[in-house]
Amino acid sequence: MTNTSGSVSPGTTMLDAVHLTRRFGDRVAVDDVTFHVAHGETYGLLGPNGAGKTTTIRLVCGLLSAHGGEVTVAGMPVSTTAPKSKAQIGYVPQDVSLYPDLTARENLTFFGRLYRMSGTGLRHRVDEVLELIDLSDRGNDRVESYSGGMKRRLNIGASLLHRPNLLVLDEPTVGVDPQSRHAILESIRALGSSGLAVVYTTHYMEEAEKLCDRIGIIDHGHLIAEGTSRELVAQVGQKDRITMSANGSLTAFAEACRSMEGIERVDVTDSSVQLLAEDGRLRLPQVLEAASRTGTSVRSVEVDEPDLEAVFLHLTGTALRE
Amino acid sequence: MSAVLAIALKDLRQRLRDRSAIVLGFVAPLAVAWLISMAFGSVATFHASVAVVDLDKGPVAAGFTSFVKSPDLAGLLTVKSAATEADARAMVNKGDLGAAFVIPRGFSAAVTAGNGRPITILASVDSSIAGQVARSLAESYTAQIEAVQLSVKTAVVSGAPPASIEKLAAEAATLQIPERAVSQASGAKTLTAINYYAPAMGIFFSFFAIGFGARGFFLERIGGTLDRLAAAPIGPGTILLGKSLATFVYGMASLGTVALVTTLVFGAYWGPPLAVTALIVALALTLVSLTALVITAARTERQSEGFASILTFGLVLLGGNFIFVGGAPEMVRTLALFTPNGWALRALTDFSGGADWTAAVTPLMAVLSFAFATGLVAFGLRRRLVNQ
Repeated sequence: MTNTSGSVSPGTTMLDAVHLTRRFGDRVAVDDVTFHVAHGETYGLLGPNGAGKTTTIRLVCGLLSAHGGEVTVAGMPVSTTAPKSKAQIGYVPQDVSLYPDLTARENLTFFGRLYRMSGTGLRHRVDEVLELIDLSDRGNDRVESYSGGMKRRLNIGASLLHRPNLLVLDEPTVGVDPQSRHAILESIRALGSSGLAVVYTTHYMEEAEKLCDRIGIIDHGHLIAEGTSRELVAQVGQKDRITMSANGSLTAFAEACRSMEGIERVDVTDSSVQLLAEDGRLRLPQVLEAASRTGTSVRSVEVDEPDLEAVFLHLTGTALRE
Repeated sequence: MSAVLAIALKDLRQRLRDRSAIVLGFVAPLAVAWLISMAFGSVATFHASVAVVDLDKGPVAAGFTSFVKSPDLAGLLTVKSAATEADARAMVNKGDLGAAFVIPRGFSAAVTAGNGRPITILASVDSSIAGQVARSLAESYTAQIEAVQLSVKTAVVSGAPPASIEKLAAEAATLQIPERAVSQASGAKTLTAINYYAPAMGIFFSFFAIGFGARGFFLERIGGTLDRLAAAPIGPGTILLGKSLATFVYGMASLGTVALVTTLVFGAYWGPPLAVTALIVALALTLVSLTALVITAARTERQSEGFASILTFGLVLLGGNFIFVGGAPEMVRTLALFTPNGWALRALTDFSGGADWTAAVTPLMAVLSFAFATGLVAFGLRRRLVNQ
């Protein structure tokens, strides 16, 4: 994927969202939110429903006017009254936002014209995007005849048509079957790898963990934490838990484990041993070797790493709500 | 500008794929205009068959029969023969006659003696206009006789010599009283049902474009495509203009088609082509501004449907699309002047009556003023398109 909306060097900041605030009546939906996304970076906004993700996205895309703060994309201010800079952004709405009574080709052509594309260039680009989203053979069919997954792919394709520098996706996998979800995530990963800056909102922590270079956790309109998945986990200081079902001399095995570096705590029950460790997976060969040495027969091993769910629980005192 | 055109073309494409828009914009006005023209025909070509039953056989009765059969009334009446009152009544009841005059025995003698005897009118409730025309003709003839009698009495009282009385009576009888039934249309051209109802129905159904346009906008909002439009590098004014242009073209196409088809197929006369085109353009602009007003004023699809319905039916009821306002009471005629369709119909009615293009000038200005005023309000509210 090549971007034509200006030359942007990798690593440079593509999106600056600074002190964004938006109220609806007395309710503050987004409260002093600040984040930055670099060229080629995939940034995830993770939070439960109603946390303020969509409002933040709408502010970033200039669909809502902010009551405070500002947004710049590639150095150009974005607002409801500054339409020019919107050409830098590709917006993928949460719901499939297409014209069902038009064909995929007609939909793409129409959206292309809104971005001042025309003629042969537009026709070629429509063909390219249809190829990219694997809908070339169905391009002349009306969208109303498409499956949910095909509509989702076209929904993303329509936002890529004008070769934006920043792609903003608002929960694009909500209500999508696992196969289509996988395909969508793969295509977003590929777009990120191609150098596109991506903002991705979700309330699925595993999506954020797999897809995003950095994650901002948002709740009740506040950005409460930010960093890579590992940084966030480290921020809350939680350890990995290794649970082993075993037969034999469990006491001797536990003693051997206690003397290992990185093992913080060992608990023994009738038929299992639980270890609290830093980087549990790295410690595992050492632990299994100790089991063999002490004549312990291991039936199963389970490693629980602290995840974003745990981080969210730690930060807010509540679980990520559906 | 290309974005405006893109939005307009997309909207028109969607509208062409929507059968209800085609039916309401093109098929329904033509069908209703055709039905009305079939039902009412031409109001200017009224013609009735009547009969005179002369039971008197005197000279005054003969004079009345000659009056009814006079060339002046030939375009209005066909006089058939009926020997008796019973025959005439049977023919009226059967529908062969619109009305019948029964001149009673002794009518001439009574008139000569200075006493009046009424002419009986037989009319059917199914042809009330024929009955009214017959009644008017009888009253007109009776008034003529009374004028002669009055002349003679005045001469006698004034002391005119008896020899000159007969001559005076003869001269008085030849005089025409001012009120006569004359077969003549109100203008150089005639106002027929199709001439009035073709544009009236065309305008009425074109008003449905307001609802279509507004509903289309809110469906875009519900479907999320409006967000896509707003996320594009175009302002809210561009979206509004694009949608307005689609409504303008739809309105023009709808009214233009109705004008063309009713002219070529049903023989309707709309008026001088350039003046009619100007009126259609002005009306289409009104549709645009009203659609924009509904879009900017309403908050939801349901609200927009309600506003559009109120506007459409309010305007067509006040403007006279269902009833001929020219024949309505003063208050109704005044109210019609508050509507763009009322002004347009006024111009088209004048054209139908034989007026030239100048009859369109004031109505055109009134329609354009209405479009401008409502458009201005909509433009002022355009920021409501975002931030909702």
